[in-house]
Amino acid sequence: MRILKIAFLNFCFYTFLITFSLTAFVNLGILIILAALFLSKRRMFKLLRQAIRWYGGVIIRILPFPLIRLDYKNFGLNDPPAPYIFICNHRAACDPFLMAVFPYEIVQVVNIWPFRLPALGIIAKIAGYLSVREMPYPEFAAETARLIKEGVSIAAFPEGTRSRNKAVGQFHSAIFRTAIETHAPIVPVCITGNESVPPIGSAFLHPALIKIHRLPALTWEQYKSFSAFKLKNYVREFIAKEVLVMDKTR
Amino acid sequence: MTEQEVIKLTNEVFVDSFEIEKSKLLPQANIFNDLGLDSLDIVDLVVALQKKFGVTIRDDERVRTIRTLGDLQQFILTIKKEIGK
Repeated sequence: MRILKIAFLNFCFYTFLITFSLTAFVNLGILIILAALFLSKRRMFKLLRQAIRWYGGVIIRILPFPLIRLDYKNFGLNDPPAPYIFICNHRAACDPFLMAVFPYEIVQVVNIWPFRLPALGIIAKIAGYLSVREMPYPEFAAETARLIKEGVSIAAFPEGTRSRNKAVGQFHSAIFRTAIETHAPIVPVCITGNESVPPIGSAFLHPALIKIHRLPALTWEQYKSFSAFKLKNYVREFIAKEVLVMDKTR
Repeated sequence: MTEQEVIKLTNEVFVDSFEIEKSKLLPQANIFNDLGLDSLDIVDLVVALQKKFGVTIRDDERVRTIRTLGDLQQFILTIKKEIGK
């Protein structure tokens, strides 16, 4: 009986997802055209990224409810002002949508495959998302620095791919090198409970309480003496410890 | 240069440049999975090794086959021997 209920909720979610996405993409297309005509380039990007945040918020908070619930805790109330570099662990395909909980203009660092998704990939490209594996490091660093200078936060999943178990994988150093160059505060973000949203190799969503803990920012003053290698491992260990606690307290 | 000297100097590079604990520097340790280096860190590693051993390894195709610390130490030993001939 329970599995039937879950299957029904999945059916509802995907039906609403397709309907909502089609409507959103049409409206987003019109918004982009109008914004390009009447607004400055900077304001257009800001509006587009805000629209993506709203879209992500609906996809992750409203459509899958009550199958999926979010528990977001912000432990960074005394953080310096944005922009930030959000560093997140990565367990599930839904993780990029979870960035909608952060009330900032954000550009995400993505792997190759999200850019190949129909519609979503195009929108991500227009919004200036960074396909790190398709960019030489100097180009990635320059673009990240430009965005941060404009006040745009960056969200990255430096494991590069979804974790196959609950362990936090090794981090890639590219985003940490740009942090050192731009002096931006690094905000560790721990995500648990998302392993089955959906599981790797499946589209079937299982009931889940996704916990997102935004940890206090690591400021330039705190990490300025670190090498990129030391910084990435420091942040990785910081996240891994919190993730372990979060997994134990489920 | 003896094998022991190469091992000692290679390990020094990992300790000095990456602050990796000596206890982790085992010959079978995978440079990527166990020691946590990525492609950008490898660039730093190559620079540090070239400086330490006074060799040029950046353009050597054999670098691509290196996976473990032991592989790296053997590679440097081979390079040093080739230079010495």
